[in-house]
Amino acid sequence: MILAVIAGMGAIVFLNRYLFLEPRLPFRLSQGTRDFLSFAVPGMLTAICGPIIFMPGHTLSLSALNPYLLGGLCTVGLMLWTGRVLTSVLVSMGCFYLFRSIF
Amino acid sequence: MRSTLSPYQAFWQGSMAVIPLSLACAPWGLLVGSLAIDAQMTPLESQGFSAIVFAGAAQIVAIGMIKTGASLSSILVTTLLLTSQHLLYGLHMRATLSSLSSRWRIGLGFLLTDEFFALNSQYDQKTFSRWFALGVGLSFYLAWNVFTLAGILLGKSIPNLESLGLEFSIAATFIALVTPVVKSVPTIGCVFVSLACSVLFSYLRWESALVVSGLAGMTAGFVCKRLLEGRS
Repeated sequence: MILAVIAGMGAIVFLNRYLFLEPRLPFRLSQGTRDFLSFAVPGMLTAICGPIIFMPGHTLSLSALNPYLLGGLCTVGLMLWTGRVLTSVLVSMGCFYLFRSIF
Repeated sequence: MRSTLSPYQAFWQGSMAVIPLSLACAPWGLLVGSLAIDAQMTPLESQGFSAIVFAGAAQIVAIGMIKTGASLSSILVTTLLLTSQHLLYGLHMRATLSSLSSRWRIGLGFLLTDEFFALNSQYDQKTFSRWFALGVGLSFYLAWNVFTLAGILLGKSIPNLESLGLEFSIAATFIALVTPVVKSVPTIGCVFVSLACSVLFSYLRWESALVVSGLAGMTAGFVCKRLLEGRS
């Protein structure tokens, strides 16, 4: 099972990465498909963040004092302010641990 | 300008340029290594996972799915959806990469991560340097595997790794990547629907919560875009 997962995932990820680099591929993505795929990054990445932030330890936490929520809001604020990914991530991680020790 | 550099210099420049991004993925690498061990994978399988798949988010999600006993097909479908942004990266990089020899094309194709795309996508055919790109890609690959190894070795010795809140670094990184993308009403709709669905479906313990929420968000964004276009 594990080996099948590794081999299968490896093949799928490589196919995703390589498909459109192949010069012999005569492709034409419809505009609709492209528009749909253009929402893949915000859609999929947000779907991963949701449970991490609102369900820490697999229990629902909708409190405004949830350190994951406050930390996440810090990331958004820092990103809008600085525009630097690494700075925003590191500083908001600091904020997260601070909030976690307070609340 | 970079075309005047020797291959070695360009490779070195690329390796240097990716260092901050490599460091940012350290917590994930540690997480992947230790979670894989925690999910009863052997150390060799855990390392091979990072060496062969080389896709952080998909790996973390897959390990979670393995632990909850998900089927092979649902893991593969999730992987396909979760890494579908690479199709767009490939489409974008087609101009610079598809004309290379097959050895370079396949090699750089394997290394085409979010980070690789971030550092190489702005160059056109004239300014693109394959050695710079290789430096970026290989250094990042090496870092990812070293951090995974560290996670495998440390995993068992860090008690309650999950309670350390390391997963916040994943959320923070994704939020930082998504924030600059959210510039229009359709993307706001996409993010909001995806967020709400992911929390609701995870609360309901749906096995396919992530895929369904992501698709719901993408559909919301797409429909919203079409509606706005139809109106104007």
